Amino acid sequence: MDFIKLLTRNNKALAGLCIVFFFIVISVFAPFITQYDPGKRVTKSHVEPSSEHVLGSTRMGRDVFAQTLYGGRVSLAVGFGAGIIVVAMAVAIGITAGYFGGVIDETLSSLMNIMLVIPQLPLLMVLAAFIGEVSPMVIAMIIGLTSWAWGARVVRSQTLAVREKEFVVAAQVLGEPSWRIILIEILPNLISIIGASFIGSVIYAIMTQATLEFLGLGDPTSVTWGTQLFNMQKTSAIHIGAYWEVFSPIVVIACVGAGLALLNFAVDEIANPQLRSHVGLKRWKQITAQKEAEALQQQEGAAS
Amino acid sequence: MGFILRRLVFYFGAFLVAVVINFFLPRMMPGDPVDAMLAQGARFTAEQIANLRLTFGVDQPLYQQFFTYLGDVFTLELGNSTFFSNMPVAEVLGNAFWWTLFLTGTATVLAFIFGATLGIVAAWYRGGKFDSFASPLSLVLQATPQLVFGIVVLFSLGVTWDLIPISYAYDPELTPTFSWEFIKNVLHHSIGPIFCIFIVQLGGFLVPMRNNMINLLNEDYITMGKAKGLSNTRVMLNYGARNAILPSVTALSMALGFVVGGALVVEVIFNYQGLGSVLYNAIINRDYQLIQGQLLIMTVFMLAFNFLADVLYVFLDPRLRKGGK
Repeated sequence: MDFIKLLTRNNKALAGLCIVFFFIVISVFAPFITQYDPGKRVTKSHVEPSSEHVLGSTRMGRDVFAQTLYGGRVSLAVGFGAGIIVVAMAVAIGITAGYFGGVIDETLSSLMNIMLVIPQLPLLMVLAAFIGEVSPMVIAMIIGLTSWAWGARVVRSQTLAVREKEFVVAAQVLGEPSWRIILIEILPNLISIIGASFIGSVIYAIMTQATLEFLGLGDPTSVTWGTQLFNMQKTSAIHIGAYWEVFSPIVVIACVGAGLALLNFAVDEIANPQLRSHVGLKRWKQITAQKEAEALQQQEGAAS
Repeated sequence: MGFILRRLVFYFGAFLVAVVINFFLPRMMPGDPVDAMLAQGARFTAEQIANLRLTFGVDQPLYQQFFTYLGDVFTLELGNSTFFSNMPVAEVLGNAFWWTLFLTGTATVLAFIFGATLGIVAAWYRGGKFDSFASPLSLVLQATPQLVFGIVVLFSLGVTWDLIPISYAYDPELTPTFSWEFIKNVLHHSIGPIFCIFIVQLGGFLVPMRNNMINLLNEDYITMGKAKGLSNTRVMLNYGARNAILPSVTALSMALGFVVGGALVVEVIFNYQGLGSVLYNAIINRDYQLIQGQLLIMTVFMLAFNFLADVLYVFLDPRLRKGGK
């Protein structure tokens, strides 16, 4: 609960949270917002935006507004799904390496370092190309399986720091099993890192999915922001000036990215108070001053 | 020198991993790799199929195939491209490589110079107007993919206002020569792509630089510098920035490696004849040998820049130099 309170008190976090939440809501409630089926031909090709078709239509005569709404379902699901996979793998591998040390650490660390220097986008492309026209779910899987290394490295170094703390040593001396020390003693101390890494991974996954699909590696029959862009490119919407088809997915992707980035910036600030700008500091000083005053009053009350 | 040698061994290992992935991936698919390509809708002539079977050596045992492949990789025998009229993959990639290096190199170095400078300023006046505006903005820019920038820039500057060319690295009518006219043409064509790569990279340098610098500014030696009555610029640059820039140098190398992936998309959007366009054509036409060659060349690219950063780091940080002895 403290974490949520911290998030809502930070302006950047609040803005980011609202943006992301907004897009999740409109894509979940897509059927209530638009009457059109995103996969069906509903009008003539390249109709300009009008009251009937808010964001115009594609060359295939599909409603761009409906496609963007429904596309968000898949794109956001892939983003968050891949984010969960990335973080789960990063935490599992990072903690294992950091806690157990020795040969396990050396093996896992060199694995991380190697994954870090192999360029990810080309690797993803080779994977996707051989698997074939990959469905959004497979994209989420392969993004997850290839992108855990950075998070794992951060989690590992933090685990190394926490492992030396007295409370962990105390738990070891008490004879607690390793899994309990890892889950109950160490994991809660990594929450802010895990949060930042999750948000970063979601951004990365949404962008990567869009990129892969734009390049023609995705399943062209699924409706996502990436396939919207792919079809836009294929029907050369840019060159004939169909701005509505070009900008709808672009604006949405940019907004979601910006929202998540703001959230990440805020998490950074919360985790490292030095980075907070003076506005935040003032407020913090006010709050502590208030608390001190309250404590003083209570003391006085108790004394009298 | 021990440090550098260890890094070299590590990079060699990483390269081998990429080779192994490249080798096993097509072989993990059901059937043999050639069947897999055909099932994916790749179009080959009967002669090409026979050639492919020979290249993949599908009739030999796996370990033998692997060693043949390893030998091929180190002699740059990456097979022939089916899309680029049977040209050797190494040659296709070699031609495209220089264009990509030109784009990403220029953009990243520019982004580093501007990003680091602005980051120092933002940190020095932290909480000020510039900082509270530029830092979140650059973070947002960083989270915006090349895809978005590329399309926006192409649509606005290229199509709507007709300020920059919308495709190719130079006018197809011109023959590449070292004349001023040709160079001017190349530069004109590169503005759009370079701008897109630059703007996304900028945040990647500004924010870490700012954060490092803020952490350093609380150190005692900074206060000491100020107390000695040194000028603000001297404390800012010689005391703060000189130390804060070290992690940014690593970031620069990582960025140069990563940006190849980002540049791919920009190149596709601007139809620029670098590695990205080659890869796009390879994917669209299911030219597997070319796609595999791409992964290898990009790994080498990334490893080379990482190594360069390691060397630079030793050069810039005296502590590491002493530790190495």
